[in-house]
Amino acid sequence: MLASVEKYRQAFLVGIQSNIVYRWNFAVRGFFSLFHLAVVFILWGAAFAGTDRIGGFDLRQTLTYFITLLVLQFFISAFNEDYQISEEIRNGIINQFLLKPINYFLYRFSIFVAARLVSGALVLLPLIVAFPFIKDSLTFPLDGWRLAVGVPALAMSALIQFSIAYCFGMLTFWFLEIQGFVILSMAVEAVLGGQVFPLDLMPDAIFRVARFLPFYYQMYFPGAIITGRIELPQALQGLVIQAGWVGVLLLVNQILWRRGLRRHTAVGG
Amino acid sequence: MLHYLKVWLASARYSVIRTLMFRGDFFVWSLVEVFWMAVNLMLISVIYGHTSSIAGWSKYEMMLLVGTSMLIQRFLMGFFWSSIFEIGRNVRSGNFDFFLAQPGNVMFMATTRKLDPDGLINSVVAAGVVAYSAGQLGLHPGFFDLAMYAFLVLCGLVIHYSILVLSISAVFWLTSAQGVEGGYFTMTEFSRLPREAFKGVSNILFVWLLPVVVVSNAPARVLLHGFEWQWALWLAGMAAAWFALAVLTFHRGLRRYASASS
Repeated sequence: MLASVEKYRQAFLVGIQSNIVYRWNFAVRGFFSLFHLAVVFILWGAAFAGTDRIGGFDLRQTLTYFITLLVLQFFISAFNEDYQISEEIRNGIINQFLLKPINYFLYRFSIFVAARLVSGALVLLPLIVAFPFIKDSLTFPLDGWRLAVGVPALAMSALIQFSIAYCFGMLTFWFLEIQGFVILSMAVEAVLGGQVFPLDLMPDAIFRVARFLPFYYQMYFPGAIITGRIELPQALQGLVIQAGWVGVLLLVNQILWRRGLRRHTAVGG
Repeated sequence: MLHYLKVWLASARYSVIRTLMFRGDFFVWSLVEVFWMAVNLMLISVIYGHTSSIAGWSKYEMMLLVGTSMLIQRFLMGFFWSSIFEIGRNVRSGNFDFFLAQPGNVMFMATTRKLDPDGLINSVVAAGVVAYSAGQLGLHPGFFDLAMYAFLVLCGLVIHYSILVLSISAVFWLTSAQGVEGGYFTMTEFSRLPREAFKGVSNILFVWLLPVVVVSNAPARVLLHGFEWQWALWLAGMAAAWFALAVLTFHRGLRRYASASS
């Protein structure tokens, strides 16, 4: 058991080292995120000019939601894991994992956790720079339960994000090029994950359907818990649905891996 | 001039043939662009479901602005994106030698080699959004206004092209231009906002110093309020200045190019 954990601990440490090499990429991405934040401030500031509340929330609550999502993105989002997995399959690098007692999903997940720790730490730098300008726009509810429910929601969100990226990576067994699918899915995830606008602003019927989709649990759900857009009963109900989606996606990952390997031809590598 | 037109037509022909060979790819990427345009329109739709005005602009005025911004972006994606984006990789690998050996201006050859028909197809969708919004607003622009709109969209395309060439030229000094893509898309987000929404520092930075707001606001205003020479002069002046800067920077960078491993 301990030896098994040790394997993935080493993968995690290698992941930390290799992601520190790309520290400037994460820093540049963090810097450009501040421009995106400027767009959000200008657009929503203008939208709130004629009204005090939109969807029951004021301007500060709305801006807090977007700032929270932007920061969370660096801690729990899958950046280019789908592409990395795809490259490993296409170039035959996965061949080495087929011959070793290592689970490819856990190996990639260990590296994903390491990468998010590095990118999460690095986004704090532009956040510190921007803090004097955004501090007046921040307002968080102080209920203790939000932390207790928010932490497992965040952990499961990370797992959902990684699992979806892993599924797309697995598509390489069937398709030569997956980049188009990934960017197509990014558009769907951006809208139904609440990154373009808070999902509760959508028409009620669509919002009710969205709550049963996995995208809702990628970003909106943990963000809404932390920023006070949903209350305890909805949050607890959401945790159950989120756990269900984690189970479904893990199962799909395994099915795709097994089916994909049957098609895989280990040439070179 | 005729020589360059012939070269460009040959490149365009090659790109179309290549696209016909990868029809599935063409379909997926066309869909990608349609989806991202839909995302922008959904944002407008959702906000206007809760408010009637953004910086004095009504829903369909905003859609016309967003449509104009998308139209310029689709033209950039269709005519130049792939070629400019590949410059970074080619300079790093030394494959850029190929362009130096061609009989023509290096910047022209390197930035016009590939056409993306999916981007061009979607420019029809973006133009449709503009036409639909104009219809909803009851606008009936005359021939002169339409000609001026087309001219200002062209100026906007020159500005987008220049900014992208300027950004990618960094590769001659840094040997890596990673992040250019993200940077460009972040900047184009500002072009979907009305000029009146910018106040204080953001007004100075994004309206006056960087041409990211005027690029879409100027043509949109022609359809909404008729031709205003101040806006037209402003945009045309910006286009000329940014294009000159791009040409200068690209050729400065070119002097540093030393083939592979430069």
